[in-house]
Amino acid sequence: MLKSFTQIGASLMEFFSQAGDFAVISARALRAILKRPFDFENLMRQFVAIGVNSIPVVLLTGLAVSMVFAVQLAFGFKQFQAQGLASSVEGLAVVRELAPVITGLMMSGRVGSAMAAELGTMQVTEQIDALECLATDPIHYLFVPRLLAALVMLPLLTGLAIYVGYWGGYLILVNVEGQSAYTFAHEFYKLIGTRDLRIALTKAMVFGLIIALVGCWRGYRTRGGAEGVGNAPTSSVVTSSLWILVTDFFLTKLMLV
Amino acid sequence: MTAVIEVANVSKAFGSKVVLKNVNLAVEQGESLVIMGGSGTGKTVLLRIIMGLLAPDSGHVAVEGKTIQELSIPELFEVRKQIGMCFQMAALFDSMSVFENVGFALKRHTKMTKKEIAMRVDECLEMVGLKGTDKLKPSELSGGMKRRVGFARAIALKPKILLFDEPTTGLDPVMTDVIGRIILDLKHELGVTSITVTHDLKSAFMIADRVALIFQGECLAIEKPEVFKVNPNPVIQQFLRGDADGPFLQDPPPPKHNRPEANT
Repeated sequence: MLKSFTQIGASLMEFFSQAGDFAVISARALRAILKRPFDFENLMRQFVAIGVNSIPVVLLTGLAVSMVFAVQLAFGFKQFQAQGLASSVEGLAVVRELAPVITGLMMSGRVGSAMAAELGTMQVTEQIDALECLATDPIHYLFVPRLLAALVMLPLLTGLAIYVGYWGGYLILVNVEGQSAYTFAHEFYKLIGTRDLRIALTKAMVFGLIIALVGCWRGYRTRGGAEGVGNAPTSSVVTSSLWILVTDFFLTKLMLV
Repeated sequence: MTAVIEVANVSKAFGSKVVLKNVNLAVEQGESLVIMGGSGTGKTVLLRIIMGLLAPDSGHVAVEGKTIQELSIPELFEVRKQIGMCFQMAALFDSMSVFENVGFALKRHTKMTKKEIAMRVDECLEMVGLKGTDKLKPSELSGGMKRRVGFARAIALKPKILLFDEPTTGLDPVMTDVIGRIILDLKHELGVTSITVTHDLKSAFMIADRVALIFQGECLAIEKPEVFKVNPNPVIQQFLRGDADGPFLQDPPPPKHNRPEANT
């Protein structure tokens, strides 16, 4: 009995210690955004790695998810003879939820894991110590460009997912279900306002923040050689995906009030 | 003479394993101190404490009169600009070329133009005998070349202090001699104060003004090489002989087998 209490206590202590460390490192990273020197070349490299190289993944997942959702909506609304509602609900779902959340989850797998693996390898091969010895703050040099690139690129990629989401819905509802193209175009945007777009882009920015901070933090705190480097991306993806889903709920609740 | 690096009563433990116990050292301006000792005796830990990468459990380290553990992060970075650290496995940035590695600190911490940086990088690579390798990636270099690029990167900012962490480990005897000569050349050309951690006796005695031996976390002796060689301490004599039998090892070594005579 006492042993299990000790184990629970130790796990809680470990959890709070990790949470505290993450909070401190995140605060240092956010503060470092304003510090000089500003590494423009490094930032451009991250824009390409996080943004440009992710376009195919976002295009495919955005298209696939919106098409599947359109099939489900068409089938569901047909039961109630309300096929006309499918386009409006498709538009609402794609803009408010599917585009930002699917983009966030895909990016946590593609980009967050890459950040954790890269920084983890740098940590175990003493490259991060070498940065420190060359009078360079690793938080400033490694975290800031990734953080800025994720903050800018996630909303842009979400915008792209919304755009292909429209065409995914169009393919199913117009070409397969036989709705008129005019009705689809009109109905898709019927329930959406600028507030919804703002919600989507705000969510995407917050998800970008989570992905970059968790990915970099997991990599920066990698210990234990190859095994540690192997665990860092997995842990980063699991942690950031969970946080994306949890914050999505709270952001939706807060912003829809 | 004033001490450029002063290590005072430094102790460090990882969990229950005590790595350093009340270590005291002072390295004077322009002096080359070589620290020797068995594997896992805390030599690298001592270098990391001097660089401020690790904090000691007790005691302190002062570099040019500034206590490392009391400095703020920006102040610590200012001190680090005066120190060049050469890592055991070079720790080159593997996504960058040799040129970018050597020019890294110049680009970040100086207002030098691209042309001036290129000239300085060339100069540093020439000093370590690697001119013309600037476009190569670390993965295209041999172990000895990586170490030398690491040296070039460490000297790029013209530091006053150089720290070498086992610069010859894992290299063949010829390359070990080359590295020893380069360290000696750097010492003479740049007049830097240096601390070198090594196991290699030949290069140690080639570059040392004084030699220290760390045994079981304690600094057993800090002496001039000629005095160190004749120190009667059985631990020092065993280390110099490279013999497994004696007080140096905590666990008894495996029994010695005589090698059968080769047929001639």
